[in-house]
Amino acid sequence: MKRMNGSVEPIPQVRAGHRSRAALILGAVSGSMLLVALGGAAVAGRDPVAIVAPPWSGPGPGLPLGADALGRDVLARVLAGGRDLTLTAIAAALTASALGVAGGLWAGWSRGRLGRAAASAADLLLALPLLLLALLAVVTLPGPAAVVAGTVLGGTPLTLRVVADATATARRAGYVEAALSRGERGGAVLLREVLPAHAGLVGADLGQRLVLAVQLAAALNVLGFGPAPPAPDWAAMLRENLQGLGLNAAATIAPAAALAVLAGSVAALSHSLWDGRS
Amino acid sequence: MARLPWPARALARGVLLMAAASIVIFLCTAALPGDAADVLGGGRAAPGELARLRAEQGLDRPPHVRYLDWLTDVLSGDPGVSLITGRPIGELVAQRAGVTLALAVAALAVGVPLTAALAWAAVRGPRWLRQTANAVIVAGAALPQAVVAAALVAWLSAAWGLFPPVSMLPAGEPAWSRPDLLALPVLTLALPIAAYGAALLRGAIADVMARPYVRDAELRGLPPAAIALRYVLPMVAAPATRLLAVTLGGLVAGTAVAETLFGLAGLGELLVTAISTRDVPVVQSVALLAAAVVVAGLAAADASRPATERR
Amino acid sequence: MRRDGLTVRGLTVADRAGTSIVDRLSLRIAPGEVLALTGPSGAGKTTVLRAVLGALPAGLTRVSGQIEWHGAPVRAPRRWRRRTVGFLGQDPASALHPLLDARAAVREALPRAARGAGAEERALAEVGLDPAEIGRRRPHQLSGGQAQRVALARALAANPELLVLDEPTSALDPAALLLALEQVRRRRGDSRSVTLIVSHDLAVVRELADHVVRLGPDGRDDGVPQAPILSPGGKPAPGGRAVPGGRAVPGGRVVLDAHGLTIAQPPGGAPLLSDVDLTISAGESVAVLGASGSGKSTLLRVLAGLHPAERGRATVAGQALPWPVTERSPAALRALALVGQNPLDVLNPARTVGAALARPLRTLRGLPRRAARAHVRHLLAIVGLPEELAHRYPATLSGGQRQRVALARALAGDPAVLLADEITAALDTRTAAQVLDLIDTLRHETGLAVLAVTHDPAVAARAGRVLRIEGGRLRPHPCSHHRRPSLDVL
Repeated sequence: MKRMNGSVEPIPQVRAGHRSRAALILGAVSGSMLLVALGGAAVAGRDPVAIVAPPWSGPGPGLPLGADALGRDVLARVLAGGRDLTLTAIAAALTASALGVAGGLWAGWSRGRLGRAAASAADLLLALPLLLLALLAVVTLPGPAAVVAGTVLGGTPLTLRVVADATATARRAGYVEAALSRGERGGAVLLREVLPAHAGLVGADLGQRLVLAVQLAAALNVLGFGPAPPAPDWAAMLRENLQGLGLNAAATIAPAAALAVLAGSVAALSHSLWDGRS
Repeated sequence: MARLPWPARALARGVLLMAAASIVIFLCTAALPGDAADVLGGGRAAPGELARLRAEQGLDRPPHVRYLDWLTDVLSGDPGVSLITGRPIGELVAQRAGVTLALAVAALAVGVPLTAALAWAAVRGPRWLRQTANAVIVAGAALPQAVVAAALVAWLSAAWGLFPPVSMLPAGEPAWSRPDLLALPVLTLALPIAAYGAALLRGAIADVMARPYVRDAELRGLPPAAIALRYVLPMVAAPATRLLAVTLGGLVAGTAVAETLFGLAGLGELLVTAISTRDVPVVQSVALLAAAVVVAGLAAADASRPATERR
Repeated sequence: MRRDGLTVRGLTVADRAGTSIVDRLSLRIAPGEVLALTGPSGAGKTTVLRAVLGALPAGLTRVSGQIEWHGAPVRAPRRWRRRTVGFLGQDPASALHPLLDARAAVREALPRAARGAGAEERALAEVGLDPAEIGRRRPHQLSGGQAQRVALARALAANPELLVLDEPTSALDPAALLLALEQVRRRRGDSRSVTLIVSHDLAVVRELADHVVRLGPDGRDDGVPQAPILSPGGKPAPGGRAVPGGRAVPGGRVVLDAHGLTIAQPPGGAPLLSDVDLTISAGESVAVLGASGSGKSTLLRVLAGLHPAERGRATVAGQALPWPVTERSPAALRALALVGQNPLDVLNPARTVGAALARPLRTLRGLPRRAARAHVRHLLAIVGLPEELAHRYPATLSGGQRQRVALARALAGDPAVLLADEITAALDTRTAAQVLDLIDTLRHETGLAVLAVTHDPAVAARAGRVLRIEGGRLRPHPCSHHRRPSLDVL
């Protein structure tokens, strides 16, 4: 459509407004979920490891979500069980994203043989099964470190490729060429022009890495490589309580819902920030 | 570099990849000393005893020598014995492979058509269907597998009573003889695969749909089915094949969560047990097998590319 | 069924915001007639065409009106298009499926019953292609002209009752265009065929069409006060050209001087342009023409320091221009400014207009933050934009406004030479004229020299000197009145 030359284009504004409202709501949801996950234990005021009722007692007075396989308070365990997992996931996502952004800026900008080699090495890593990498890492590393390692190995290449593509395109953009032709240095152009122009992309990508890290941490914790047994953990709770689904469904559904809301809202937020990536 | 014919280049790449994968696996599991000896010593062995055990296992030799030894053994078809049970690894793997193979094949059989349907709906459907499909893709690709499993059990098993919640396959019985036991684990595997695959395929399809010759074909009034089959399919065949290869490889390791949650004794469960008992030779063999599946799939996708992606 | 051809009644098309793109358009083409739809770019020609075909792009809707074929509303547009319409788009060569050979491409357009038995070969022969030679070739094995003809053959193959040609004068090379127009002439008056041509080229369609429908310019204003221009000394030319012909100011000092520049793409590879000598005086306007890929943009990029020169030297305002750009002296960096062609990425989406303008003021002129901010208002005034725009982000500006901001950014260093790379290519005629007027005025009043790379005759017509890149050399263009060869043919 050649309708780009009206005074102020109303269409993108309207859509941008619509989109940013969605992003705002999703941001609020994922933000409060993160708060619950990180600070839930502090406000709970209950002991997540004390045995308080017969196994798999249903919800009742004093026990809003009932008891788990060993008769511990499910609400207390849900409130306390997200912190380690979330902290691990955030650390993993930040590490993977930072490495990927730095590498992507460099690879996309230099476009030399080295940059291309980095991009194809990244392509290769993409093909590796992520869970396998994390499981191999867990042989020698503690669980959280294995989550970071797996997220970096599996997520950094993705970030690197996305950022490298965007950087290579931006290199030919008018604003970058204008900056270069007035003598600005490559590093300054990358930090002042390219990176801010792709802040949405980088933010969305960080969200994707966070989702990946949550998935990985959940998988390792379900398989028993997470916190040692009496400690509460959302993913481990799924495994502990799946058998008792008929007796106290809340013991399984509550941690599952917590994980689902955390991963789902971050993913949807990331999607609303940057739609149209492959 | 001399231009080799396509299949030869794909094969060469596959061999290189496999070598790289074996080094990574070895480094992750065996290059850091102590573990295997610790396991053999029961974790409480005296330093002298540990040194003896290391020497016995050949763990005191430099890593590259151990790597080459290990590689020679694997290539000659003798991956060694389990540190824990002492049984030959080949036998262990063969015993478990059936369940995992059944799971993987069934998950692909469900997941591949679902992927295609979701991706197509997300690009070409009417507005409501597009939005629904996109929401399913975003959510499905984001949820941890364990959550999917829990939701399926809560919904199909506990609420509707359709399938037994936990499988407990009788020993010695082939997995495919009890499809009702496999239903939940298969769905647990297939749904995330479909969502993840559709997210990638959606981009590829949208990309092709935006090309001028597809737009032109729409303006010329070609039926949607002809556009899908003649215009879009050949162009997304290459990325789709690659995706399939990656998914297949991911399934070999990815069955771990489903097998553990549903109590199936497959390769994934073997891998997890071996890791928690630090049974390094078993870990190495299962991981190498998974890597081999990925690499073989990628090589096949590479080799078939000239047929689908001529420019 | 009555056979009264194509009728459009009260067609109104609106975008998502409710702005109407096409307003109550009615037209009628009887069998045997040719109707031409003309108007400047941006007038909604393509939208009308898509609405008639019943295939509006996402975001546009037909608010009211009706498309009738032989007296009955078109109910199933896709089937109708398939059965009745032959369509040739704006870029026919890229409209061919890369995996289908020429014969299969034509075959696709034929009804099932007519396939085989040499129908495909006849359709190819009809457009002057040898079926034996071309029939088995895929698009990548065809020349651009051959590919256009295959697409033309496909549009004509089924002898469609309704033939729709979208901008054939720019879509086809001269020979293929002659063929297409010959076909249209043959259809005319056969009391069966209906032909709809969309073109901005009045000269061609007037001779050919029974009816000409002219869509007005959108009538919407740019929302900008018309260039109020510089200091009290200068007298703005209201809406017209500031300096007719744009001759160099007599005795003007040389501001840009290049000798023996040789340029390779990629750097170090085969030379694209050899031994370029170019001298430009203050206030002069020079246009460079050339086929796409001939290296005209690369020439500007070399001067701007974005691409290395293989050999040769250049000076601007007496300052040497070394490569890479980071070696250049501050005075040399100030003296040259580049403006690019794409209004979509000419400004950084993450920076306000004010920030985009303040940055060069600080790096090139060394102004402190506060002074730079004050000077931003001055720059905006020069390019005729209100100062409130300083707080806006590029996404909220129109294409014309963005190009003006880019121009203001280029002027920040007080350059002696402006390097303009197709700066009007993405603007509609009216906005383009405003931007060109502005540059002419600046030239006149500040002695700014302009080196413009273009394929737009309107830009070339304003230049004092026109150069042309041909066969890897930069040569003077024989006549500065440039016309499309396709028109000369007719």
